[in-house]
Amino acid sequence: MSFGLHRSLADLACRLLQAALPSSLQSWGWAVRCETADIPDDTKALLFALDSLCGLLPRAVAARLLQPFVSRGGDGAHFSGGSIPMTLYDAIVRRPRALGIACAIVAVGLGLAYMAIARAPMRYLAINVAALAIGLTMLALLGRTALAARQWTGGAIVVMAGALLATALLGSRVEGAARWVNLGGLAIQPSLILLPVMLMAFAQTRGRVATAGILVAAAAMALQPDRAMAGMLVLGLAALAIVRPDRHVLVALAAAVTGFAATLVRADTLPAVPYVDQIFYSSFDVHAVAGMAVLGGTGLLLVPAVVGWSRDAENRATYAVFGAVWFTVIAAAALGNYPTPMVGYGSSAIIGYALSLLALPKPASAPTATAPETDSELDRTQNDRHLLAGLGV
Amino acid sequence: MSRSRALSPHARMVLAVLLDAGSQWSHGYELARLASVKSGTLYPLLIRLEAQGHLEAEWQMPPEGGRPPRHAYRLTASGVQLARANPPVQPVTPAFVHREAAV
Repeated sequence: MSFGLHRSLADLACRLLQAALPSSLQSWGWAVRCETADIPDDTKALLFALDSLCGLLPRAVAARLLQPFVSRGGDGAHFSGGSIPMTLYDAIVRRPRALGIACAIVAVGLGLAYMAIARAPMRYLAINVAALAIGLTMLALLGRTALAARQWTGGAIVVMAGALLATALLGSRVEGAARWVNLGGLAIQPSLILLPVMLMAFAQTRGRVATAGILVAAAAMALQPDRAMAGMLVLGLAALAIVRPDRHVLVALAAAVTGFAATLVRADTLPAVPYVDQIFYSSFDVHAVAGMAVLGGTGLLLVPAVVGWSRDAENRATYAVFGAVWFTVIAAAALGNYPTPMVGYGSSAIIGYALSLLALPKPASAPTATAPETDSELDRTQNDRHLLAGLGV
Repeated sequence: MSRSRALSPHARMVLAVLLDAGSQWSHGYELARLASVKSGTLYPLLIRLEAQGHLEAEWQMPPEGGRPPRHAYRLTASGVQLARANPPVQPVTPAFVHREAAV
């Protein structure tokens, strides 16, 4: 079996599917994974896995959203009561991270619709889908360790700030701006991935080390220079300062304002890139549906912040920073030649959005979470025993 | 409880391939190829058929070592009835004919 790029992506898609599927459908995730592994042709295996992922992901998301209200014996077919729309509404607003995932998936889907209508190269669509898969996989993997790693948050912020500084000093330079890193022929913008994560982490855990990391990040944005990302720092920290002011936040905010001022002094002459920049305007020139897809998809990015702010008073600082961060990215895309997040071509914002969901609270633990295994789950365990033995896991 | 809803052309094709296989077990990739449906259409359909009792699924260990196990499917008695009551609406594909000839 060849372990080329196609095979690796196919395996990644299968793992993402397995991470997304609820326990009652796990055997189907294994079924897709094993079937994919048995396909000799790497490209056909990749197509099989991606198509399975696209076909089953909506079902997986729906099943996860409905899980708290599903009777223990079923997989989404039976409800404990109430109308389905109300059940869906309650399930969604009680699970901010799941809501964010759903918004991300729909936003990327709307972006794909826009790009398809605008006849963007198919490679662009595939890259956005792959970025979503990578982002959600990282979210699933990191989500399990986030709580345990909270004591290392300050150090992590410093490491990420170091990466941003390294990008400013050593990254790919275009028209005087150094914001990108070339990975396998793709230009990745680390700030769009790391800065939202850093700000969300800072909203939850502050201290001297974390504040030092934010100061370094502000300097990096000034050096790159990147007005959009420097503005994200300012608005994110300003939101945090309003909701939960303290000495660390104010120091970080002062540094961010200074960095942003430095970016304003320097000219930003980067031209607009098709399917990336200025698409709020150009999409309506293509077709009204494309324009609506872009606007709708972009608006979805703020939904978790709005819903969380109105429903979860305990974590308002987190939602405020989340909303400020992504509002800034959207506003920058509307005002200048900066990437349009999620709906335009570009993997960095998609991965960054998915990772920023890490900070959104999971739902309060449901009583069913520690319930004894059901008969169907026991059956599944029995049925999967041969499979797991065969896979050596 | 299954609903009496008109089956899609894809569902009819998958049922026809499974009906054609009789008591033999079929696998996902082969099913998708013979029925000319994408895997993203096939698996949600298989999940629904199994939940409604029309499909039987089991894990099969590979005859040779080093290969992954495979999830295999065949129609139950009610599935056979469903397939017979819902024949494909489109002409059978060459792949499907080939499979019939091979059987």
